[in-house]
Order: sequence, then C-alpha cells, then structure tokens
Amino acid sequence: MRRTSPLREATLDAVTLVVLFLLLVPILWVFVASVRPETDITGGGLWPERFTFDHYAAILAKRPFLIALKNSLIVGIVVAVVTTALALPAAYALSRFQFRGRNGFGLLILGTQMLPSLAVLVPLVVIVRQLGLTNTLTALIFTHLALGMPIAVWMLKGYIDAIPKELEEAAMIDGCGRIGALTRVVIPLIRPAIIAVGTFAFVLSWGEYLMALALISKADVRTLPLALQGLFDPYSFSWGQVMAGGTVIALPAILLFLIFRKQLVGGLLAGGVKG
Amino acid sequence: MATTRQDSVRATIGAAARRPDRARLYDRLLPYGMMAPAVFVAFAIAIVPLCYAFWLSLQDWYMLRQPVPKWGGLVNYRQLLVDTQLWMAFGRTWIWTIGTVFVELLLALPIALLLNRETAIARTASAVILLPWVTPFIVLGFGWRFLLDSDVGPIHAFLHAIGIAGDSSVLNDPVLAFATIIFISGWKGTPFLVIALLAALKSIPDELYEAAEVDGANAWARFRHVTVPAIQNTVVTVGLVLGILAFYSFDLPWIMTKGGPQDATTIVGIAMYKAVFLDLRPAYAAAISIVMLLLLFIASLLALRARRTT
Repeated sequence: MRRTSPLREATLDAVTLVVLFLLLVPILWVFVASVRPETDITGGGLWPERFTFDHYAAILAKRPFLIALKNSLIVGIVVAVVTTALALPAAYALSRFQFRGRNGFGLLILGTQMLPSLAVLVPLVVIVRQLGLTNTLTALIFTHLALGMPIAVWMLKGYIDAIPKELEEAAMIDGCGRIGALTRVVIPLIRPAIIAVGTFAFVLSWGEYLMALALISKADVRTLPLALQGLFDPYSFSWGQVMAGGTVIALPAILLFLIFRKQLVGGLLAGGVKG
Repeated sequence: MATTRQDSVRATIGAAARRPDRARLYDRLLPYGMMAPAVFVAFAIAIVPLCYAFWLSLQDWYMLRQPVPKWGGLVNYRQLLVDTQLWMAFGRTWIWTIGTVFVELLLALPIALLLNRETAIARTASAVILLPWVTPFIVLGFGWRFLLDSDVGPIHAFLHAIGIAGDSSVLNDPVLAFATIIFISGWKGTPFLVIALLAALKSIPDELYEAAEVDGANAWARFRHVTVPAIQNTVVTVGLVLGILAFYSFDLPWIMTKGGPQDATTIVGIAMYKAVFLDLRPAYAAAISIVMLLLLFIASLLALRARRTT
C-alpha cells in the first residue's frame, strides 16, 4: 500500500465532493424543480423552501401521459424478455461449442453494438413503412432489440465462460441433455447476470427517443419520451410538469442502473474497450 | 477420482459419437439453432438495413416529384456533392465530434485521477458519477433547456451575471448555442470515460510509482512516465468509441434547438432526419447515411493508425 496522509486524503475528498456536485447539479435541479410550486420555479430563489407533488398529480391525470407510461412499460418489458431470451442461447453456444462460423457470428453481433441507430434509421423507417408497421409498438420493439442484445450476448458469454464445464458434464452424465444442463445448471448459476442484462435492455428501451420519434406519430402508441415532448406545449406549459415528467423517465433508469451497477459496468467496458 | 470421472465423461461422449446419425446431426446443428435467433435479429437490424440503405441511395425517390422509387444511379450522390448546406453540416459535425471528445477528455482525466483513491467518498463518487451517462437524452435535453431558459433558468442567471449570456438565453445565439450544446454533449459522455480510465488506473501496480519515487521522479514526472503510458490505449480506444457516438448524435441538438438558431446546431444527423421527414427525400437521406459511414470509416482508420504509431 502507498502511504497517504489523512489530511491530503480529506482535502481530496472535499474536492471530490465539490466536483461531483458541480457535475450532477444540472440533474439534481431537474428533480428539485419537479417538486417545487410553479411560482417558486419562476420567481423563487435558488434554494427550495416549499415542496409539492402537484406536478406529478397533474401529469398523472393526463390521459396521453398515462397511455405513454403504459406503452413504455409494454415495450420495455417485452424488449427485456425477448433480448434475454435471444441472448442467452447465443451466449451459451458462443461459450461452449466449437463450430464453423463461430467467430463470424460473434463479430457480427459485436459489430451491431458499434452501429449507432442513426446509421440505420432511414432504411429501417422505409422498411417499417413498407411492411405497414408504422405507428405500431411491434416495430418499435423490434428496433429496440438492437439496443441491448449485442452487449447482452457478450456479457452473458463472459459469465458462462466462468462456469466450469465439469458442472454441466456431471449433469449430462446424470441424464440431462444439453438443453437440460443449460436450464438446470447454467441458468441458476448466472441468474443475477440474466436479471442485470434484462434490466439493461429495459432501461435502454425506456429512454429511447430517436426510433420512437421516427416510427410513431399517433397519440395512442406514443412512448414516454414522446409524451414528455408533448407536455412542452409552447403556448401554455408548466416547467414543473415537464420536470416531473422528466423525473418519471429518469428515475427508474438511474435506480435500476445503480442497483445492477456491478454487473453492468464490467460488461459496458468490455463492450466498449476490448480493442 | 478425477481421472475416473473424466474417463466416464469420455465414455459418455464416445457413446454419443456412436449414437445414430440423427443424434449426431442434432449435436452438430444445436449451436446453429441456438445462435439463429440472435443472428437473425442482428441481420434484420444491421446488415439488411445497411444493404438496403445502399440500394435506396441509388434510387430516384422524391415524394413531391417522384413518389414511386425508380432507378436513379448516382443522382443522389451528384446532388449531395454540390449541397453546400449539407457540407456545412458535415463541417459542424467534425467540430461537434472533436469538441465533444475534447470536453470529455478535459473533464474525465482529472476526475478519474481524483477518484482513483481508496476512500469511501471516492468509491461512492465513482458510482453516482454515472448519472449523466444513464439519464436519457430526452430528460437531459429538456432539463438543460430549463436551466438555460432566460426567464426561469438558474444557469442562465449565472451566465448572465458573469457576462456570457445577454438578456436572451445562450440557446438563441448561433455560436453560443453550438458551444453550449457541445459542452453538454461532452458532459453527458464524461462518466463513461471516467469509469474506463479508472479501470486502467487501478491496473497500474503501486510498485511502479514507488520505483519512480525512489529514482527521484517528482509528481509530474511520475504522471508523465508511469500514468500516461498506462492509460494511453484506453484513451484512444474509448475516445474513438465516444467519437463515433458523437458523430452520430441527433437527440441532444434536436431536443434542445431543433438544429437552430439559423442552422447553427444542424449537424449531419439532423440534416439527414430533415431530409426524410421534412423534405420527404428518403433516397437522398440514404445517400447521406452511406457517406456518413464512409467518412466515419476513413476517420477511424486514421485514428487507429495514429494509435499504432504512438
């Protein structure tokens, strides 16, 4: 261990706190504004003195916002489940089998991760339109699969790699097939990672804006990011309500990410840094 | 014990090999079956659209004049070459990309050094610092519009007090709006770089610093000769990833200024979006996205070559 003087560490800790505050204050301000009365937002000082949940009550009383909340939940949950269901067998095959085309498939999936949605926006919009799927949640769900699937495959592969093969071989001697070994041995062992991967897919879909904007124009299939935009009526809108809507979108994403941070950060770096 | 178990495993596998052909075929096809759904999705969402974009870019398809696509050869690319608006958007995109990565490096390096300590505060800080990275663009975009609003925004009040902003928000001034949104874009990406740098910094053994100290290296020399070489690769690789993300930005400038004022924040992603949804020229937009891919590919090759020579 390197020697460090307590005074120096305490000073650096203080600096850390200041830097962290400056970095996060724009987000904190959004949260704080969502619970301040409108008159305090427009005319009050910086320091909040009165608190209210009126803005949340107001947006939750709006039908379009509730519909969007429901749509975002549907899309997010389906995306999470399907992403995991697709990624798990692929990760298992990449980890456990030697077969022709293995590296090619692996690279293809990793390559999708690097491809920004804007790069495929135009063709996807045209394809979806020709299939007659504009303004459907189905099309949105399908495009959202691209957000989390590649990273899910690579994260799960990492976790499966860490499980000793002997455990499955033992199960197979006891009469399990390959699939049996997967469902009875591997899945229980990597359950936390599976939940983390599903959560990650959910969070990515929950806040996604570009595809939703491009594929959806009808009120009854809007997702939350589009509904937030709808709250921002240029003639009469309330900053408090827009900030409350923003908090409804941001908070689940932030909380879920912090809860599963340990599993996710490693995978994120592996996806981005392995060069 | 172990050998007997391995023997029995081998026996089982041997038995499997002697099983009828149908079972062998099953074993051979199983990995493909397991890969198929994920590969199908990757094809449907990446490969097919990319190929289709290329085909589309060769069509003549302009909703107002040519509502049914017909073969147009290089017509879109010819128009694209003389589209000064578009090339200005490309120019802005390079400033935007380099600016974003610059802000990210400028903020992330000192923060990572600050967080590379074993105190409780440093550890907690390296968790919550991820907030800007995980908060969706739509929230950050409206949040910053609120903060910079000339009537209610506290940051506007601050910028006004120090003389950067006049009576109207910085978002109404072409130059300031572009600079501000570049800063916000860099701020959003900073945590990712911090976490990557932290991982690289933590992998430097303490002995290296101790040896340097024994050799009489001062703090700067230790940073220059121990820290920098250890994080160089991370900086280039993550910088490249963040650069690609910045090059393909759309959300932030669209949510905050819709590409305005006076096109000042119209980066090429916004120009492409406008080509599809406002000008109704999907084939032209497809040509833009192909040119984007090409330029990005060339830039990445150059960046990777720079990495190899350093």
